[in-house]
Amino acid sequence: MSRLMRTSELHKRPVVTMGGEDVAQIKDVVFAAGGGAVGGFTLAGRGLFSGPSDRGLLWSTVAAMGSDAVMIDDESALGSSESVLDASAGSGGSGGDVIGSQALTDSGVDLGKVIDVIIEVQGPRGGQCNVIGYEIEASEAVGTKGTRVLIPLPDTLAVSGDHLMLPAAAKDFVSQDLAGFGAAVEAFRDHLSQGR
Amino acid sequence: MRFSEATGRKIVSTTSAETVGKIGGFVVDPQRRAVVALECKKTDSGDILLWSDIVGFGADAITVNDAGAITEAPAGIDTLLGKVHHLLGKRILSSTGDELGKVDDVEFDPESGVVEALIYAEGRIAGARLIGVGSYAVVVAHG
Repeated sequence: MSRLMRTSELHKRPVVTMGGEDVAQIKDVVFAAGGGAVGGFTLAGRGLFSGPSDRGLLWSTVAAMGSDAVMIDDESALGSSESVLDASAGSGGSGGDVIGSQALTDSGVDLGKVIDVIIEVQGPRGGQCNVIGYEIEASEAVGTKGTRVLIPLPDTLAVSGDHLMLPAAAKDFVSQDLAGFGAAVEAFRDHLSQGR
Repeated sequence: MRFSEATGRKIVSTTSAETVGKIGGFVVDPQRRAVVALECKKTDSGDILLWSDIVGFGADAITVNDAGAITEAPAGIDTLLGKVHHLLGKRILSSTGDELGKVDDVEFDPESGVVEALIYAEGRIAGARLIGVGSYAVVVAHG
């Protein structure tokens, strides 16, 4: 069972123990493996007894990521935000902030500006949380200028603060919504592996 | 039997035949998935009646040996008291992190106290799926 989500939706999502207590909420998503996966989260306090504010949550200790809450077994799953950032750095870095970057194909066509990151949550428990695509504000090359489309990522990619490099074929596999996007990503990756 | 039916039911002593209180609420131990005590109102002494001290849980009254069965919360129960641990009205989260609805009512076995089901807008969730009850949510196993 896997499901797709926009990382912007994760902001402020409550972190809830299996005992039913909301112990924190997501502040930021910390990417790892050069931006190809979610390594964890930095957390903000919740409510009156919000506890220390510099806490973090490693993806490996997340029991489940749902549409309404991030489930953990108990508060021992929480660590320091530092440990999450360190783990990310050790795995190849966060890949920098991709939001606002220009998505360019390797043939030099501007596809649009990145406005959101699409992740695939596998699980529950033990599964990966991979970055599989970006939502971009499309340029004319993709469709109607200004509309939002989802664009799949290859397994590996090059990203700098300014640009995100994509194979030219990426623009043939865009989706309008998350429902069909999983299939589009798969088709795109199949297409790439056959081309090699 | 449901929480909504039983709330307010009188508690009668078999020794004195007097009404010694009324059911105010239910204390549920999520680990045992059972009602372990009743919160009582209009009593002379304490406000907790342990499930094991109930003689009969009838359709018209709950019977106890005497008024002394209703006491202050003993150790072990005190951590399960209060609004934080109440089920009624609380949001239901599955263990996968998805909200299912709110607890409208709870079905329990009047003999054993075992929670049989949580009732919500879309139906019932077997009591065996209950994992935890906290201030934010009632957590149930993904079904």
